[in-house]
Amino acid sequence: MKDKIITNNPLVQSKPPSGAELIFVDGGLEDVLTRARDLVHQGHALLTHPLSGSVKPGETVYKTIIMSRGDALDTGSLELIESAIAAAKKLRRGGRAFSDSILKDLQLVDYTLIFGKYNL
Amino acid sequence: MKLELGRIYVNSIRFGDKTAMAGGVLTVCASDLEKLILEDEHIKAVRIELAAPGEKTRITPVKDVIEPRVKAEGPGGEFPGMIAKVDIVGSGRTHVLSGAAVVTCGRIVGFQEGIIDMSGPGADYTPFSKTNNIVLVIEPQEGLSQYEYEAAARNAGFKAAAYLGEAGREAKPDIVEVYETKPLFEGAAEMANLPKVGYVYMLQTQGLLHDTYVYGVDGKKIVPTILYPTEVMDGAIVSGNCVSACDKNTTYHHQNNPIIHDLFDRHGKELNFVGVIITNENVFLADKERSSNWTAKLCAFLGLDAVIISQEGFGNPDTDLIMNCKKIEAQGIKTVIVTDEYAGRDGLSQSLADADPAADAVVTGGNANQIIVLPPMDKIIGMPDYTDKIAGGFAGSLRPDGSIEAEIQVITGATNEIGFNRMTAREY
Repeated sequence: MKDKIITNNPLVQSKPPSGAELIFVDGGLEDVLTRARDLVHQGHALLTHPLSGSVKPGETVYKTIIMSRGDALDTGSLELIESAIAAAKKLRRGGRAFSDSILKDLQLVDYTLIFGKYNL
Repeated sequence: MKLELGRIYVNSIRFGDKTAMAGGVLTVCASDLEKLILEDEHIKAVRIELAAPGEKTRITPVKDVIEPRVKAEGPGGEFPGMIAKVDIVGSGRTHVLSGAAVVTCGRIVGFQEGIIDMSGPGADYTPFSKTNNIVLVIEPQEGLSQYEYEAAARNAGFKAAAYLGEAGREAKPDIVEVYETKPLFEGAAEMANLPKVGYVYMLQTQGLLHDTYVYGVDGKKIVPTILYPTEVMDGAIVSGNCVSACDKNTTYHHQNNPIIHDLFDRHGKELNFVGVIITNENVFLADKERSSNWTAKLCAFLGLDAVIISQEGFGNPDTDLIMNCKKIEAQGIKTVIVTDEYAGRDGLSQSLADADPAADAVVTGGNANQIIVLPPMDKIIGMPDYTDKIAGGFAGSLRPDGSIEAEIQVITGATNEIGFNRMTAREY
């Protein structure tokens, strides 16, 4: 079973690392976290921290998470993803408009936190 | 290992024909400094400006702050592995231009924060409103990637701090402080009746714009290891961290870590300050497990009775912090954690993204979501288009009169998690 990359970051979608299955979420950061939580309930475990980066929920719109298949519910992953969803709701900020260049920078930071300079 | 820090007080800074330190005045030859910075082919231009406490000046977006120093006697040089050879530092004598700071500015990514107000209400939240600042506004060559720009700006700060520090090489210090850590068994024998205390120093190491270097090594590639406290005081750890202005540790913070300073104050009196265990804050959970296993193992191996753990950042590092705390406590070693809070603008939400009953002794640097209004300033040092970007909706909003309503997380050092600020919350 391949690892899964859950992301809403177009840069990850356009330059995906090989060897993992890409699940592109056409939505916001919280939608990515929710999708990851659903996968935890289906027996997947988090490999990366859902609050990666100092650019916090509410300050970025992108999130990439890597998950693996487990053979039982991973309660550590469940606690982590639930607390990340709670943090995202707490830090939710409405009405932000980001310029294209800022969006590109946010995509780059999200990409590099998970994959380094891997495919850039 | 014994280090003498000779502090030469800098009361003011001015431009002049020759860089020199005399009578509390640091004179800076801007053209020589500019020439040094422009040796890096990645840098197109640098503007050098001065900012003194009390001025109606705003510096933004701040990347790093560095204290100018020179190794006056003994082995090694400033910022080993970065701009000096990788000799072990932390012994001999280092001269410090105390009261001066190099501040690097560069808009490496579009959403960057980092504000230093030299006066007004924002000044109370940053220690760098009290230093005499030499600001480098660094313009990259066209087409330079964000990594290359970050590295160029980072190194420019170190080179400037070492260049200015040279002015203090022959100066007579106003005060000489002496810090010493004995070899493990010797120290334990001398202080047999005192509790053995260590410091677990968590370094921000998530990736681009979130990096810290130890003797030139990228911190995310280390496993936890032990340093003499004076190595940290002497420039072994430097910042490559550009985001999260309020709670990132600038290089200046690493050079002047108050936890290390205060543990030394009590060393030999109330406790035996055994040493510093450095560890990282990586994104992959397996790295977190490995590193926290190792910090706990090293704490037990050193026979520590108690540990202070500080973190850098929010969210992802909260997990490292709690893992470190839980695993060290499980060894029967008492811990105190040092953090800050993202408790929402009303301060009512959960402060950390992770928690555990073992984390029952906490020092906080404040709530980063607290709102502040920064009044307009007469002078802005930095990137001219930056304040427009902040209006676009990062953590602050620029008003038509030039004032900014923002969360205090935009201010450099506001909720610093090694306690290099004046905010805290107390419960008795």
